[in-house]
Amino acid sequence: MASQLTKQEALEALRNKDYERFPIHNPDIECASRERIRAIQLEKLIQQVKWIYERVVWYREKMDAAGVTPGDIRTLEDVRKLPFTDKGALRETFPYGLFAVPLDEVVELHASSGTTGKPIVVGYNRSDMDMWADCIMRMVQMAGVVPSDRAQMAFGYGMFTGGFGLHYGLQRLGCMMIPAGSGNTERHIAMIEDYGTTVLVATPSYALHVCEVGEKLGYDWERSPLRVGLFGGEPCPPGLKAEIESRMHIICTDNYGLTEVMGPGVSGECLASRDMQHIAEDHFLWEVVDPETGEPVPEGQEGELVLTPLGKQAIPVLRYRTHDLTRVITEPCACGRTTARMQKVRSRSDDMLIIRGTNVFPSQVEDVLATIEGVTPHYRIVVENETGLDTMTVYVELKPEAMSDSFAEMDAFRQAIADKLKGVLLVGVQVRLVEPGGIQRTTGKAKHVEDKRR
Amino acid sequence: MSVRQMSVFLESKPGHMKRVLDAFESARVSVRGYSASDTGDYGIVRFIVDDPDRAAAVLSDMGTAWKATDVLCVALEDKPGELARVMGIVSDVGINVLYSYSLISTFIALSVKDLDEAECLLSKQPVVLVDQAALARPVRELRTKGAE
Repeated sequence: MASQLTKQEALEALRNKDYERFPIHNPDIECASRERIRAIQLEKLIQQVKWIYERVVWYREKMDAAGVTPGDIRTLEDVRKLPFTDKGALRETFPYGLFAVPLDEVVELHASSGTTGKPIVVGYNRSDMDMWADCIMRMVQMAGVVPSDRAQMAFGYGMFTGGFGLHYGLQRLGCMMIPAGSGNTERHIAMIEDYGTTVLVATPSYALHVCEVGEKLGYDWERSPLRVGLFGGEPCPPGLKAEIESRMHIICTDNYGLTEVMGPGVSGECLASRDMQHIAEDHFLWEVVDPETGEPVPEGQEGELVLTPLGKQAIPVLRYRTHDLTRVITEPCACGRTTARMQKVRSRSDDMLIIRGTNVFPSQVEDVLATIEGVTPHYRIVVENETGLDTMTVYVELKPEAMSDSFAEMDAFRQAIADKLKGVLLVGVQVRLVEPGGIQRTTGKAKHVEDKRR
Repeated sequence: MSVRQMSVFLESKPGHMKRVLDAFESARVSVRGYSASDTGDYGIVRFIVDDPDRAAAVLSDMGTAWKATDVLCVALEDKPGELARVMGIVSDVGINVLYSYSLISTFIALSVKDLDEAECLLSKQPVVLVDQAALARPVRELRTKGAE
């Protein structure tokens, strides 16, 4: 049985792969047999489709047009008869067109950080807030968070689901919430020390910034009360997470979620399979499809993740196309959980860049940089075609120790990075070196790519 | 006998060099010479200062990418043809100068591949090499010394 671990004990338990020492929030579900999980999913799916068909005109029209009625849903595979939902549907029905409950019943409104056009607005009633908190409680306990923890929020609050989502879930678990909000890094560090903060909720890039500022101030992270980092808001490359863990002497996990289906907590990283995240399968039915055809791919193969929230009432969506590429496996995990695991999303079907006809994912750049000594994990990609030909420039941050007094050596280093990138991306790129700290750290979604092509 | 040079990586953007100079100033580090050159996106700015240790602490605190190297420092006489005379000696003894720049007063910095060998070769020649301590003195005092 898991109990509160000290920082040293937790780090040691992780090193020794002593996973039983970390808590499981709801073993009844999280460790259930596959048959039981599928039975729960089917029962909830049938209810969900009925709920939506009866309450949301937009979906009823779509289903009628597709010739499918709630009665046609008799197995989990029958979900494929239902229409997909994409971001466009939420924009088209802005703000309340997909709501399935009277607005009087809605207790919270959130919106996505929306990169183009109108924001995506979602609402939650009390039941939805309970479901969300349940997901967060599972996810944070995978990292070893317990009710006696003190959690400091470094996400911005506001319309973004990350801030309040984590806040409510951690508070429901019993943690003392320290709602510091984003920014003011020195204050964050002072609060960690003064209030005995044990859990930091942040984007990974901001956590690294907190780490660096602390180091500059002479703060001893090893002796700090901080034990856990809960990351989100942006993809966390494994190299970055490992670096933060070793420099701050903490355990870090990240989770997956999106506003359109709920927010953070759809799936969470467990300490036994750190590249994978357990899906809260009783709350979300997952499918993995070919992004081109929408047809299911064989289990375990990569494709686009499609999610149908189960039991979500205020704004239920059917078969939401996430555009996130992943693969899902259902073998039991060494952590003790049996819920399906999705590979961490490294790339989205829609953040793929096409450079002179070659498909390039920013995650490939991340992977290459992680193998190069002398550069940090931070980067920025700029794509242009001023001369009619696409050019991709990767801005790379130099580490202080990589400095040379010789231009020839610096240029050879720069060229070696460009060559390595070309070897993986199969397209020539320009590399520009920038000063340490020269690439902006963010407290929201990190913007790695700037596509200036017209 | 050589002096220490700090080479700093700086992006070629307004204000980036000033940040370093401001930090030197508040730590009372006096710049005795510098050279800034560029490759388009970034430059290596080489500083020679009165107190290299203090400068090193300043640069590390700022988190900049920098590297210390040693270079020769030659005191010239202030008269026509002196630079040609010294460079002539340097070439006669077979030293290749990687790069060179002038400092306060009539000092010049010479970067060479093998510092010890260059020093040994020049020690038998009519060339005045100076050390860090000489470079830290105010120019006024240096002139007085030159007149003696």
